[in-house]
Amino acid sequence: MAKVVLDADTLDRVGNTPLIKLESLSNSKVQYFAKLESHNPFGSVKDRAAYWMIKDAEEKGKLKKNHTIIIEPTSGNTGIALTGIASLLGYEVEIVIPEKASEETKKIITKLGAKLYETSDDLCPKVGAGTDQSIALATSIASSRPDKYYSPNQYSNEANFMGHYNGTGPEIWKQTDGRVTHFFTGVGTGGTITGISTYLKEQNPKIKTIGVQPQQNHLIQGLRNFEESAKPDLFLRRENTVDDWITINNETAFSAVKELFAKEKLLVSPSSATVYAAMKKYPISEGIVVGIFADDGRKFKSLYSQQNVFSPEEFDANLKQAKHLSKIVYLD
Amino acid sequence: MSATTKKLDARGLFCPEPVFRTKIEVERMQVGETLTVLADDPNAEEDVSRWVKRNGHELISLEKKDNSLEFLIKKVK
Repeated sequence: MAKVVLDADTLDRVGNTPLIKLESLSNSKVQYFAKLESHNPFGSVKDRAAYWMIKDAEEKGKLKKNHTIIIEPTSGNTGIALTGIASLLGYEVEIVIPEKASEETKKIITKLGAKLYETSDDLCPKVGAGTDQSIALATSIASSRPDKYYSPNQYSNEANFMGHYNGTGPEIWKQTDGRVTHFFTGVGTGGTITGISTYLKEQNPKIKTIGVQPQQNHLIQGLRNFEESAKPDLFLRRENTVDDWITINNETAFSAVKELFAKEKLLVSPSSATVYAAMKKYPISEGIVVGIFADDGRKFKSLYSQQNVFSPEEFDANLKQAKHLSKIVYLD
Repeated sequence: MSATTKKLDARGLFCPEPVFRTKIEVERMQVGETLTVLADDPNAEEDVSRWVKRNGHELISLEKKDNSLEFLIKKVK
């Protein structure tokens, strides 16, 4: 497969994503908005974390161009974002991914030029399943060759928080003219929710932050349910910036994918649909509500077919009609 | 030792990398071929032995020399 050719100005397109009004959900008292993180160059909110983590490591002298290999365990968007951004900056990337991660994601990461290591759950039973296997392998590869490897570790890296505290938070404040009253997002590493919430509450302590989690044993890539998964260090540092939680089940999330297309012509990812479902369900009598839509639906054709959300034919037809689709580097 | 024995030197690597590299080597081998794995992380003893047994292969021998472990593995299926 041909590698993707990247322009140097791609990096300037990280952040400053659009905020669009969800007309079908809004009424005279409550206005609902979605922050479309798919408009980052590699298609998701993770571009911010990847960019900030690599820049931070460069400033701290942890990286040498054309020498250091960046290695990271991930099952999705962080792998895509890190590979794209690190390649642009002159670093090799190796991604450790659970073998059951989506084939679409694996293909994109390979196309962007990373070496992939796929882990299986039988490798090291004492560390747990899925991404935990990948975390263990990435850690072991990096720790035996510290001169060669650097692992950003998005689950504890403060730069992941800073990307949202300095970027996404101020963007939302400005885009709503300081009128935002409620903020919704899903939680994976906790970087997005704590970074944005910390900034917004510094501007107006009355702003309410609502964490959105999927059900246990969920199918929502990128999100965590904290009854079945451990809370990451990055999240624990500022857990108190979250005021309330709402849980959305798989069925509600997938029906929200359909609803968002029918009502708003948005082709969204399962995690964005989960956030939308939470915004819709949570009782709010008045205000300006912002939800983070972490990526769009373009990587989920096979999942939507499996889950009877859209048949492959419906998906292709919807893709042609969809509004607010961004230019994504690897789709050129 | 048979002429087809392959060798994997996983010394200096921390678990689970030795078992990960063992898995990749075994997947590339033909049934009946054998592989020698050298490792010096003590956790490799349990990780590699368990992986070999769980996946239906044969651990022909496990020798401990100084601080090093030497596994001889036969691909069975």
